[in-house]
Amino acid sequence: MKIPRLTTLASVAVLVVLALFPVIGVPLSWLNYLFTFFIYLALANMWNLLAGYTGLICLCPHAFVGLAGYTLAIGTWVGVPFQAGLIAGAAVAALFALIISYPVFRMKGIYFAIGTLILPEVLKAWFNFWRPVGNAYQGMGAGYSVKGVAGVTLGDTYWLALAIAAASIFLVHIILRARLGLGLKAIRDNENTAASSGVNIFRLKLSSFLIAAFIMGLAGAAYFIFSPRIQPTGGFTISWLLLPLMATVIGGEGSEEGPIIGAAIVTFLRFLLADYGAWSLLIQGIILLVVVVVMPQGIAGLLRQVGAYRFPQKLFQAAEGKIRKA
Amino acid sequence: MLETAVLSVDRVNKRFGGILALQDLSFEVQAGEVLGLMGPNGAGKTTLLNVIAGTYSPSSGRVNFRGRNITGFPAHKVCHLGIARTYQIPQPFTSLSARQNILVAAKYGGKKAAGMEHDKIFDLVNLSEQKDMLARDLATVSLKRLELARALASNPTLILLDEIAAGSTDAELPRILGMIEEIRKMGKTVVLVEHVMKVMVEAVDRIIVIDKGAKIAEGTPGEVMKDEKVMAAYFG
Repeated sequence: MKIPRLTTLASVAVLVVLALFPVIGVPLSWLNYLFTFFIYLALANMWNLLAGYTGLICLCPHAFVGLAGYTLAIGTWVGVPFQAGLIAGAAVAALFALIISYPVFRMKGIYFAIGTLILPEVLKAWFNFWRPVGNAYQGMGAGYSVKGVAGVTLGDTYWLALAIAAASIFLVHIILRARLGLGLKAIRDNENTAASSGVNIFRLKLSSFLIAAFIMGLAGAAYFIFSPRIQPTGGFTISWLLLPLMATVIGGEGSEEGPIIGAAIVTFLRFLLADYGAWSLLIQGIILLVVVVVMPQGIAGLLRQVGAYRFPQKLFQAAEGKIRKA
Repeated sequence: MLETAVLSVDRVNKRFGGILALQDLSFEVQAGEVLGLMGPNGAGKTTLLNVIAGTYSPSSGRVNFRGRNITGFPAHKVCHLGIARTYQIPQPFTSLSARQNILVAAKYGGKKAAGMEHDKIFDLVNLSEQKDMLARDLATVSLKRLELARALASNPTLILLDEIAAGSTDAELPRILGMIEEIRKMGKTVVLVEHVMKVMVEAVDRIIVIDKGAKIAEGTPGEVMKDEKVMAAYFG
């Protein structure tokens, strides 16, 4: 499938328009929705890189998000500016991924999944009693506020999240077209054959895992700049796993556009169902169930099956042809 | 003699729990040779290939490749050094096209000199018309050929073929013999596990027969077929 160059122009145009939103007076509630969408999108993209392209069902995004958030928050208490804390948070998430890689990569398939699921629970317990600096936060145990972000506007965090989401899309796009992407897909399809074809399974899985942990950490830290309080329950909540998981599965695992579609749906549902509390989880669960049964390849897979991309592709190609002639 | 051996297997044992799958197995493969591995079902032929290719490490003994001890090396490293293998039951990358399947081996197979052009590999294995099809859509016969194509794509010195002709019709056998001959002409060394006697007799220089993990006979196809121990292993 040859992608016409106009699609690149179109993506850049969308990016520019989105970047202009805060300065052209778009309602703040919209910026709020889009901020959430961007964070979910970055997380879903990375979850898709692991599950859809590397074959790693990673159930610990909340470990990366929480660690990055705590690094950011604690950093601001010892004088680290939040901008540096953002990067430090992502780096700590990646470092954590590096440390756990050796034991968790010894497990495969469902065992890997379960092994990773335990980690955030351990971290949650740890941060419940570990308090390196400061007094108890508002008498509530192990929470921290993020200091020094009072001057940060919604527009600033919006731009930050947009940049992270765009970077995550671009990164996956590049990886899939590089040698690394081919090796990852080989591992996903058949580890034995990949190994006997010369693919260093451990090294490639680790590359993918570190990239995902870093970007998930960035997205997590960005969220805690936007919402500058962190507690063990909120930092390591399983929502940080379920939202990208749902977005990826609903949108279409193993496709580039899947997480974008899925993250949009998950964000929409989250705000739509915000008033219904536990019911919202039930409704989202039912939607997930229906998608898995009715369209196992997700919405992106369904669109591809019915040939929904053919018309816009033809349109783009025709337009490009005309531009060339002129 | 020892200097020209591409592969030497020295007193290799492989134990799975209480079962000794390979017992004190020793043999050598000379450069440019096509060696046949024979034996009844469960004799340990595939286990032996797995030990050579690094899928298993042997419980004891040594595997030398081009004078280097590669015992216990991981599979990807064995591939980088120049050993490629096919699987008896095809193990393709199902969601990739045939072309991408061999691209994996070509890009990750090691830093050796550039191998054959991919189109030539597809011509050789007679898969040219299906190279853009997804592996999951290919028939078993084509997948067997894809196994061979992928093995060739990493440009190996030694190629391990596990029952490449199994399941083929008699009419296809000359073609398979032709492929093995082509591979030999490229100067590659081949170890061939095969049950199809026609392929065994016509393609190989030398045969090693193993039974219950131990070597029971070695020699030219003609010699081995007359061996009493071989007869006993196959016909009881």
